[in-house]
Amino acid sequence: MTEDYSPFLPLSPAALHILLSLAGADRHGYGIMQEVARQSDGQYKLGPGTLYDNLQKLMTQGLVEASPAPPAHDDPRRRYFRLTGFGRGVLAAEIGRLEGVVREAKVHLRAPRRAT
Amino acid sequence: MRRCYRCLLWLHPPGFRREFAGEMLWIYDQSPAHASLVADGAGSLARQWLLRSGWWKIALAMALAVFQILLGGLGMELFRRRNPVAPVRTFEAAAAYSGPLAHRPITIEIVMYLAVFVAGGLAAMVILLTFWMRRFTARRVR
Repeated sequence: MTEDYSPFLPLSPAALHILLSLAGADRHGYGIMQEVARQSDGQYKLGPGTLYDNLQKLMTQGLVEASPAPPAHDDPRRRYFRLTGFGRGVLAAEIGRLEGVVREAKVHLRAPRRAT
Repeated sequence: MRRCYRCLLWLHPPGFRREFAGEMLWIYDQSPAHASLVADGAGSLARQWLLRSGWWKIALAMALAVFQILLGGLGMELFRRRNPVAPVRTFEAAAAYSGPLAHRPITIEIVMYLAVFVAGGLAAMVILLTFWMRRFTARRVR
């Protein structure tokens, strides 16, 4: 049975970047912020308020969950987060949707403009 | 500045504060851009109380209650204008009242009309909220 991800789409930019940063590895909050800045070449910066507000929402929706700390865990205040299987499905669906948008945009930008 | 940020964190809803405030303060200590973090914390504070904590539901319920009472009163007034009824029995307190509204004493009929309109408004609100809540929970559970 295929899951219906449509109620979660489109994702907000913050949610998209958070899910994307967790797709490769489990991370703590500060790690997510750094990864988001890296992925966007510093163009999109998440503050901790925005980050944890979105993380709370994503955890409630079941897209993200707390993960056990890795063995080399240096600070007990840091909590790690990971993507759930459902969250990965939502992220894939959103990426598919964005691919469609990009494809459509390329077609329209390439074609000469005509009056309607 | 750190004290200001701690105050902002302390003002967040208790659940959010217990879960995330420690880490947020730790990130504040790691980060060099403190002013932008304070602005971000203020935004988070507003979002948490207005959108996530459920206070908006209480505000909405109060607004709907006021709307329901207004609707009941308006409906009763319209009904009275269309169907003028001579007062049959008045309450003793209304009969003794001699203020500017004395020419419109509260009758049992008026109270009954008011009750019917209020009950109607309440029923409509419950039906609407039930449908809305069902959609809302279905969206969250999936």
